[in-house]
Amino acid sequence: MRLIAFGFSLGPILFGVGFLAPVIAALLDGAGLSAPFDLTPIQFGLGLGVVIGIIARQRKTWLW
Amino acid sequence: MVDATETKGLRAREKAIAEQFMGGFPWVMVLWPLINTTVWLSLWPLVFIGALPIWAAFILATLNVIAAYLPSHDAQHHIIAPEGSRWHWFNELIGWYSLIPLAAPLSALRVTHYEHHRHTNDPELDPDYPMAAATRLGALAKAAVKNQPLHDRYAATLQRLDTPAAKRAMLHAMVAKLLQYSILAALAWSGHVWEAVLLWWLPHKIGSVYINFYLSWAPHQPMTGSGRYRNTRAFKSIWGNIGSSGMQYHIVHHLYPTIPLHRNPAAFRALRPILEERGCDLGNLPR
Repeated sequence: MRLIAFGFSLGPILFGVGFLAPVIAALLDGAGLSAPFDLTPIQFGLGLGVVIGIIARQRKTWLW
Repeated sequence: MVDATETKGLRAREKAIAEQFMGGFPWVMVLWPLINTTVWLSLWPLVFIGALPIWAAFILATLNVIAAYLPSHDAQHHIIAPEGSRWHWFNELIGWYSLIPLAAPLSALRVTHYEHHRHTNDPELDPDYPMAAATRLGALAKAAVKNQPLHDRYAATLQRLDTPAAKRAMLHAMVAKLLQYSILAALAWSGHVWEAVLLWWLPHKIGSVYINFYLSWAPHQPMTGSGRYRNTRAFKSIWGNIGSSGMQYHIVHHLYPTIPLHRNPAAFRALRPILEERGCDLGNLPR
């Protein structure tokens, strides 16, 4: 049960990797933009998704 | 207003009227989720094969998610088939099936909703109290806040209760959440990002705000009243009774939770003289 609770406490980071990363990559592709630092769109999406997920986990919100 | 000597007779009259609207098989509340959830499930293959544009599917999916809660609400109260009846499994089936677009388990919603009935507007114990707000805009903001990680009170309510039903509900809620986000991730990583976003994730967010606004906030605001005749109100919505998910007459539901949702308007009209005598807040609903 403790393991499950720990897994859920990582929810925002997992969401960043599992969902936000491909969404960010698709947004870049859709807008015809290239990712910075010579990254592929999905690499950029993964990096940004993890960062946003960590911030959301620490602040317990995606909005502020 | 009613004095103490009249109360008993008034309550008996009220109960006799309310009982006329209970019982029977609520076909509307059975057909509704069968159609609603089936339409939502059908959107996926229709969009995948290009038979339906994704923008149209997004609109339909949002309506489906918004409409997913109410049939389960009747099932939560065992209205479709009462507990102990040989058809009760059908009540549970309808309740679970209706909630698929919301990715929420009937068990968790039932336990927390009963707590809402027991402790309506209690700042500590009502699971819906975090929606308390003075204005519509404030309520929309509260609904957005409730969507943030660990900001709703439902998990905390299940932990506080710590009953076998609450523990089971918590497990169901975790499995449902895990399933929903696993499916979303699988879709997004397999080249179906926009289907995942527009058929489920975004409709789910919009639907959650709508449901919290109309079901948790509107019929209970200002969320300060306590007691049978004070904790819920009737009101006139600019979107009408259907647009407000039947919540104009939610006061009837709190008084008699086993009246099916679609009979609440008629029950309200029949009960109105008594509710007026009780001094209930009937808002600006026309006679």
